[in-house]
Amino acid sequence: MKLGNYIIKRSLLMLLVMFGVVAIVFAIVHVIPADPVGALLGGNAPPAVVDRMKEQLGLNKPLFIQFIDYIWGVIHGNLGNSIQSGRPVVQDIMEYFPVTLQLSIVAIFISIILGIFLGIFSAVYRNKWIDHFSRIFSILGVSMPVFWTGLILLLVFYYILGWLPGTGQLSLFVIPPERITGMILVDSLLTGNWEAFWNGLRHIILPAAVLGYAATASIARITRASMLDVLTQDYIRTAKAKGMSKKVVIYRHALKNALIPVVTIIGLTFGGLLEGAVLTETVFGLPGLGRYIVNALLNLDYPAIMGGTLFIALIYSLVNLSVDLIYAMLDPRMRA
Amino acid sequence: MRKLLLLALISLFVVVGFSASIPKDTVVIGMNTGIFISFDPAVCYEVEPSVLVMNIYSDLFKLQEINGTIQAIPELAESYDISQDGKIWTFHIRKGVTFANGNPLNADAVVYSIKRVLKLGKSPVWLFESLGLNSKNMDDTVKKIDDYTVQVTLDKPYAANIVMSIFAESWGGIVDPKIAQSHDVSGDMGSTYLADHSAGAGPYILKSWQRNNMIVLVANENYWRGAPKIKTIIIRDMPESTNQQLSLKRGDIDIAWNLTPEQINSLKGDPNFNVVSVPSQSNEYLAVNAGWGPFKDVRVRQAVKYAIDYNSIIQNIVGGYAIKVQGFIPYGYLGYVSNVPFDQNIAKAKQLLADAGYANGFEVELVTNTTERRRNEAIAIQADLAKIGIKANITIMQAAQMYKKMREQGIQMIVAGWGIDFPDPDALAKPFADYRVKQLAWRMMWYDNHAADLAEAAGFELDQSKRVEMYKDLTNYWFENGPFAILYQPLSYWGTRSELKGFDQTAKGYSLSFDLTKMYK
Repeated sequence: MKLGNYIIKRSLLMLLVMFGVVAIVFAIVHVIPADPVGALLGGNAPPAVVDRMKEQLGLNKPLFIQFIDYIWGVIHGNLGNSIQSGRPVVQDIMEYFPVTLQLSIVAIFISIILGIFLGIFSAVYRNKWIDHFSRIFSILGVSMPVFWTGLILLLVFYYILGWLPGTGQLSLFVIPPERITGMILVDSLLTGNWEAFWNGLRHIILPAAVLGYAATASIARITRASMLDVLTQDYIRTAKAKGMSKKVVIYRHALKNALIPVVTIIGLTFGGLLEGAVLTETVFGLPGLGRYIVNALLNLDYPAIMGGTLFIALIYSLVNLSVDLIYAMLDPRMRA
Repeated sequence: MRKLLLLALISLFVVVGFSASIPKDTVVIGMNTGIFISFDPAVCYEVEPSVLVMNIYSDLFKLQEINGTIQAIPELAESYDISQDGKIWTFHIRKGVTFANGNPLNADAVVYSIKRVLKLGKSPVWLFESLGLNSKNMDDTVKKIDDYTVQVTLDKPYAANIVMSIFAESWGGIVDPKIAQSHDVSGDMGSTYLADHSAGAGPYILKSWQRNNMIVLVANENYWRGAPKIKTIIIRDMPESTNQQLSLKRGDIDIAWNLTPEQINSLKGDPNFNVVSVPSQSNEYLAVNAGWGPFKDVRVRQAVKYAIDYNSIIQNIVGGYAIKVQGFIPYGYLGYVSNVPFDQNIAKAKQLLADAGYANGFEVELVTNTTERRRNEAIAIQADLAKIGIKANITIMQAAQMYKKMREQGIQMIVAGWGIDFPDPDALAKPFADYRVKQLAWRMMWYDNHAADLAEAAGFELDQSKRVEMYKDLTNYWFENGPFAILYQPLSYWGTRSELKGFDQTAKGYSLSFDLTKMYK
């Protein structure tokens, strides 16, 4: 019952957050002294044409009315039509989001594995060279721009070595799987299209590695700190004293308890990956939501910017909520 | 054991090849397709998608480069008559032409397509409206006479080349009314459907468009001029130019669309690649606001023009990919003026400033947009102006923001470009010299009636050689008095693999004409 209350409380809070996001983004995009119709028509169109287009798109209405219209639409699940493509923003998001989701899932896998292992090694071999190396390695991941890492990996693994394909989700002449979820790997598995699965997997390695590597540091750092904390506990000493092997002590006794704070950071990181995929998608030519929002920003496509941001915020909040719920289940003190 | 597994996995990745070579009848293009909105001729207005639309639809006229000049020649309009007063155009439609699906292309389709652009009222509509056609008068102005004759009544007797050019562009593409109407959604005349499908009579059919991913064109085997040699054209979205460069070198694409001058120069001298470059249909300019402070004085405007080092901008900023042009009419156009009266002359510029009473210079805001090239141009100009005592403070903004400010006449000085809407000097003389059309001259507050009258009169002159003279007179007057300094005419360039032949012919006249049927392997 208590957990139920907690969920309701959090969900209501989330609604408030969503409203805040809409209001802030709406204010920001409308504060910019620029003109989406100008972006649509380019620099040449005469003023009369610009004015008429504004009217067509409802952009000549007072801002407050536009805002109310928008909120009313959102409540009814309508995020409006993109100024640029004229298509419903919801349709655009549904088309682009699976690509970003798939990329982020593979990337988070990579950063979890990499981060946890680096963290454990760092903690176990504290202040030895392994610790220094793993810390430098993971810090490099955050410090190097994704853009740059991406291009370097492409240069090495695609251009020089020729081991992995360059851009896109699939090679040109591979027949893509029938669209079910929109995630190529999942769809090709569901339809038994092994060629597409294999090809898609090879295509996702570089972008996911780039994105995952960038997110490794925070996971590694939290794992290290938490492991260090746990390793000094009495029960670990007891376990050691009982003559258990190092492996068993570390992986069975210490890691389990050390992972609780790591769950939180993984949740946050995953949300971050969803929004951080923008540059990766650009470098690797992936038709994801990040690239969609960037294009929308460059063209001042108000509905697309707001819809995209709102959606990302929603996903982020949902991921956070589920992390908190997992936490709450693990640790009843959190529900208070 | 685990190590063995890992090794096996890695070697599997290495062994299983991915780069199947591109078949002979297929061309793969790497391009940034982020700006693509729609392939509907009534909606499409951006440069890259427009040149594809021109290859998916056939028009009444076609733009072609003939002896260095881009001209409109009859295409689906096999012949045409113009009434005595120059206002009524009668198009005689070529018989026996069908759309890609075999439906006949006749007067009904032509009338439908023109009215469709007017009715939908999207980005390109103003070009038809500039001829006096609009959604209110279209039932009277656009009429079917018989199955193969269409009559269009304009509000004024525009020069023939203007009219033909406007009907020769992407928005003039003839749409199959049956397909469009059968996909009508709440009165959109099939616009949603045609965003990513095609209903034309051009050499190619739009097979699919996965946004931000891939565009596939296939040959129209029913094309009335004969099916093209290249059967499939695949355009892959590659937003990053470095990626295009790597893919071109690896042989994964045949054409790299958005290379930087440095990247394109790295291909030169390598027998595996060709560099194709053609004069662009645009101008890069510096403009000052003739209604603002010191620029009200014509001598200050001239001083600015003499302060700029044009050669250095062309060499150092655009890597030589530009033509030194100073008139508003670019190379390859009727009325092009080849003389370049302005070269950097600091002494003369200083003298002009002193004569105008600004011996100590003044401060001005120089606006440009976020592209790297524009920023560098602004910085170069800032340094040049400093030499004559003008302190230019650079403000960088998004293009949309910049054009908004410009439309409100709120800019003191700007570096920008003008993409040409149709290949006739009228498309340049009006914006650059006639403030009454409310384009560039108006935005920079150059209210010069003499220039405006000349530009307007030249647009109605039906005698070609007289017309050329009028543009020359206007250009010379404009050099002296206008608020613009044309920095250069850019070149468009591509890197291609040497297996691909004929792309230089394809690209001729880009972006107003672009003929995919000319390339082969």
